[in-house]
Amino acid sequence: MITVENLSFSYTKNPFISGMSFSVSEGEIFGFLGPSGAGKSTLQKILIGMLRTYQGSCLVYGIECKNRTKNFYENIGVDFEFSTMYEKLTARENLRFFSSLYEKKPRPVDELLEMVGLGQDADKRVADYSKGMKSRLNFIKALLHDPVLLCLDEPTSGLDPANSRVMKNMILEEKAKGKTILLTTHNMQDAAELCDRVAFIVNGKICALDSPHNLIMSKGAAAVTYTWVGNGEHSASCPLEQISSDERLKSLIAENRLQSIHSSEPTLNDIFMDITGRTLL
Amino acid sequence: MRLKKLFLLDMRFQAKYGFYFLYAVLTLIYIIVLFVLPENWKERAVAILIFSDPASMGLFFMGAIVLLEKSQHTTCALAVSPVHATEYVIAKVGSLSAISIVVAAILALAADTDNLHIVLFGTFISSVIFTLFGIIAATKIASLNQFILWTVPIEAVCFVPAILHLFKIIPAWCGYYPVNVCMDLVSGNFSSAIGFLGVAAMTVILFVLSRFCVLKMWDSMGGVKL
Repeated sequence: MITVENLSFSYTKNPFISGMSFSVSEGEIFGFLGPSGAGKSTLQKILIGMLRTYQGSCLVYGIECKNRTKNFYENIGVDFEFSTMYEKLTARENLRFFSSLYEKKPRPVDELLEMVGLGQDADKRVADYSKGMKSRLNFIKALLHDPVLLCLDEPTSGLDPANSRVMKNMILEEKAKGKTILLTTHNMQDAAELCDRVAFIVNGKICALDSPHNLIMSKGAAAVTYTWVGNGEHSASCPLEQISSDERLKSLIAENRLQSIHSSEPTLNDIFMDITGRTLL
Repeated sequence: MRLKKLFLLDMRFQAKYGFYFLYAVLTLIYIIVLFVLPENWKERAVAILIFSDPASMGLFFMGAIVLLEKSQHTTCALAVSPVHATEYVIAKVGSLSAISIVVAAILALAADTDNLHIVLFGTFISSVIFTLFGIIAATKIASLNQFILWTVPIEAVCFVPAILHLFKIIPAWCGYYPVNVCMDLVSGNFSSAIGFLGVAAMTVILFVLSRFCVLKMWDSMGGVKL
């Protein structure tokens, strides 16, 4: 589906992306994670054929991105980080216009608007929309022509938890239909929840690439922390895989003296910081 | 059909931003001006009015249109859509030429101009040329001030010779200059086939250039100045 080999790109004389190689399978949600300015959006722009002065190879559906024609976009849906709508037109007018640009039969506009909770506001001018509403509208615009590849740049940015949930469910529905999804984000929770694999990008290079689960597990197992009372409150922890040999825990369970017990594992954010030495913001 | 959709969207866009209202008001003012002018001035006055406004509106309005599109990032949306630069350019030229022709027809009828069909054809071809100039300038700018600076040399090479030609201040051979041929047509006169060939050649060159500039603008949406 997507094969990137030895990709390098520069805005100036200094390299911005260098020596990147990876591949994305059909039906996979692949995440690009990294702090602002790391090269995530640039990489996505290369993959959607917007930046064509790169070195190396970048094949999407067997098409070298720098040689793409406009028909390339019949199968690609792009959700930019910012609104790309005509502000003085209504949401419905915008979606009808953009859907008319494709040869494929478009998905029903009203149905998409309802799915993201914008059915009531379909005839409102986009200029009067809030940031979150624009974000949802932008997302469904990318789905209009039922593309096989979706490129989403910070799709949940500016959304409240309820709408963020709706959006994530829709992304998972698209995956279930066999769509390939490229997700650019610095939201680790979204990435851990949605992505089959993630690439950590820092300073234009991939520092790590694996499934969120494998990345988390590779950096130490989960720990169990428990508390009990006896001459004051005490707490202790032990690695999950050694829980059966923790005599204190066994006796506390036998005596019903445990006050609390919970397991904890490193988050993707912890792993990112561990591998890259950077935070995401 | 994609071209038709782009054309209709451009017309709707222009209507929403008040272009049509503005031209309704301007047309009314121009008609009043034509009515108060002495009868023997009208012929040249209507030619100047049509040439300098409805026919050349594309040059001035294209800056505003493309800047608005850039500010709303719709150029990004079109850059990653199947829309071809050719379609984008034709839709812009067509939508602005349509309003040019309507306004020119009203002014020509108000002034009781002869050869209305030649006047309207001249308006159309002038509108195409000026709109293409407008696209070339608008794709390169990031602010209205920049656009105004870009249009100054275009105005100098287009308006000055045309006005001088209309008043026969410059030699007759200057009548082959494409913009002067347009001025002849807007005045209701078909000058020469050779002159018209020059206009056709200029239109083709400007079309190719404007298409190239649109492609460069779309590429620059990716963040690179090529």
